[in-house]
Amino acid sequence: MPDIISVSDLVEVYADGTKAVDGISFKVNEGEFFGFLGPNGAGKSTTIKILTTLLRKTSGSVSVAGLDLDKEAKEIRKIIGVQSQETSVDPELTGRENIILLGHLQQMKGKELEERVDKLLEVVGLKDAADKRAGRYSGGMKKRLDLASTLVHKPKVLFLDEPTTGLDPQSRATVWDYLEELNKKDGITIFLTTQYLEEADRLCQRLCIIDAGKIVAEGSPVGLKKDIGADAITITVQDKKSAGDKVATKAAAKELLSKIPAVIKTVDTEEGLTIYVKNGGLFVPELVRAFDKTDIELVSINISTPSLDDVFLKHTGKRIRTEELVKEVTTGRFGSRRR
Amino acid sequence: MTLLFDTQFLFVRALKKLVRNPILIFFSLFQPIIFLVLFTQLFSKFSQVPGLFPSGITYLEFATPGILMQNAFSSALQSGTSIVEDLNSGFLQKMLVTQVSRPAILIGRLATDAFRVTVQSAIILGLAYLLGFNMATGIAGILLTLFIIAFFGFAWSGISLTLGLRTKSAETVFGIGAFLTFPLLFISTALVPGSAMPTWMQDVSSVNPISFATTAVRDLALPNAFSLSAEVTSLAVIALIALVTMSVTVYLFRKVVS
Ligand SMILES: Nc1ncnc2c1ncn2[C@@H]1O[C@H](COP(=O)(O)OP(=O)(O)O)[C@@H](O)[C@H]1O
Ligand SMILES: [Mg+2]
Repeated sequence: MPDIISVSDLVEVYADGTKAVDGISFKVNEGEFFGFLGPNGAGKSTTIKILTTLLRKTSGSVSVAGLDLDKEAKEIRKIIGVQSQETSVDPELTGRENIILLGHLQQMKGKELEERVDKLLEVVGLKDAADKRAGRYSGGMKKRLDLASTLVHKPKVLFLDEPTTGLDPQSRATVWDYLEELNKKDGITIFLTTQYLEEADRLCQRLCIIDAGKIVAEGSPVGLKKDIGADAITITVQDKKSAGDKVATKAAAKELLSKIPAVIKTVDTEEGLTIYVKNGGLFVPELVRAFDKTDIELVSINISTPSLDDVFLKHTGKRIRTEELVKEVTTGRFGSRRR
Repeated sequence: MTLLFDTQFLFVRALKKLVRNPILIFFSLFQPIIFLVLFTQLFSKFSQVPGLFPSGITYLEFATPGILMQNAFSSALQSGTSIVEDLNSGFLQKMLVTQVSRPAILIGRLATDAFRVTVQSAIILGLAYLLGFNMATGIAGILLTLFIIAFFGFAWSGISLTLGLRTKSAETVFGIGAFLTFPLLFISTALVPGSAMPTWMQDVSSVNPISFATTAVRDLALPNAFSLSAEVTSLAVIALIALVTMSVTVYLFRKVVS
């Protein structure tokens, strides 16, 4: 299959010196549902802005549908649709007028445009609200309108920057279904960024995991998970006698685990420790026995087959769930104050 | 061709937004109307003092051109807020990833502002007529006045857009507009003739763009005041300002858009 997006050695350094994208290379095949998975600040939006001609790259080369970004930006704009991370609809125009305006700017007109707009309104479920001002729409409706207006000119490649962030689970599921249909039925290539593991897992045929401006892993969700080649066991521990120093207890537990041959890797997480082993079920009795002999008590044990989160953890030593990262930072600070 | 169509689409969009938010026009009209109704009463006797004001005319006749310019000036200085809104809401970026002709975004904006100022001026002029104002040069004078106002507004819209693109803050644009309006208005011949001012004010006033624009309209309005050479001079000064502000605006806009 020919690649429709080709990026090599892309670098973006912002005016203030922030290196938001640090030499990434990847290709997207025509018709593929491709994803960028990464936490806040990883460089996802920056990459999308460059690929969609909004931001000038510092260095590297990019081509979209065989068109060179530096020389043929205008041609590229004709065949791409872009939904940015911030929902942007004109609140004073109606839903219909919003889509028509975008259609006009993409040089569509007349009956063809009218029919297209009607169809899109129906597909994204805004038919009844079409002639209401977009400012009165709910958040989910605005997102769907935004999506509809980026599709008006039947783009070949669709760029979606976190299209479901901030949506309620039901709206999210609707958007997922619709995106899958666009990709499968209409054959549109989709480049999606997300912070949600489930989203990447469910939608993307192939994805890059990006962190701090670098691609740390690339492959299909299934392949990436398989690469871990292990189950993940997350345990929490505490000292049997005193409620003492949690950090020291954790360190002691880690030390103990490192001596067990079956353990492939142990990683600190916000909950406790995540242990990677070949066969989780068989390992648990051994784990319990090992801790029995010590002063460390196993408070909880949780076995899971690897998720994309584990893939992320393996490659970066961090978990991707941003809310919980924030929590960890706060509790960490409280902990040190108490001591 | 695309430029023309795109400009039209964006002009219509901005117009719809304006019509659906008429409160904005009421706000802009509030001040000039207060001036028109109250100031002209307040100063009506004062303007009869011999030697200060041109004799034989009412203060209303004298001040209406100045009030029109005040309106053009302060409305145009708000122009930048709308582009800031589009910039911060992401709508500008949304337009920029389409094939839209880039200059159309700027021209559409300016055309809308010029249109808005013209409509507001027509309303003010109508009200002034009701209060007893008369344009000595008749309908041609009125049309030329509206043209001068639109053009004057155009120049200052450019400054406001420049500020907006530069600071990306609607508050700053709004604040600077409000901050500039009164000093520039009062140190001009918009409301009081130069002969009634202290010398230093006369000096500032004589280079104040508002004075030039006001004079251009006043010469059309007052009886026997019209002179072609003076009219051309005033228009040339306004055109010069417009040229400078437009160049800066276009330069900054290209930086944002590239
Ligand atoms: N205009 C900017 N100027 C300076 N730094 C920026 C700018 N935009 C984003 N950044 C920084 O670049 C990094 C990547 O940001 P972004 O691409 O928005 O990440 P993501 O979309 O993955 O959350 C972050 O550290 C962010 O703070
Ligand atoms: Mg982002």
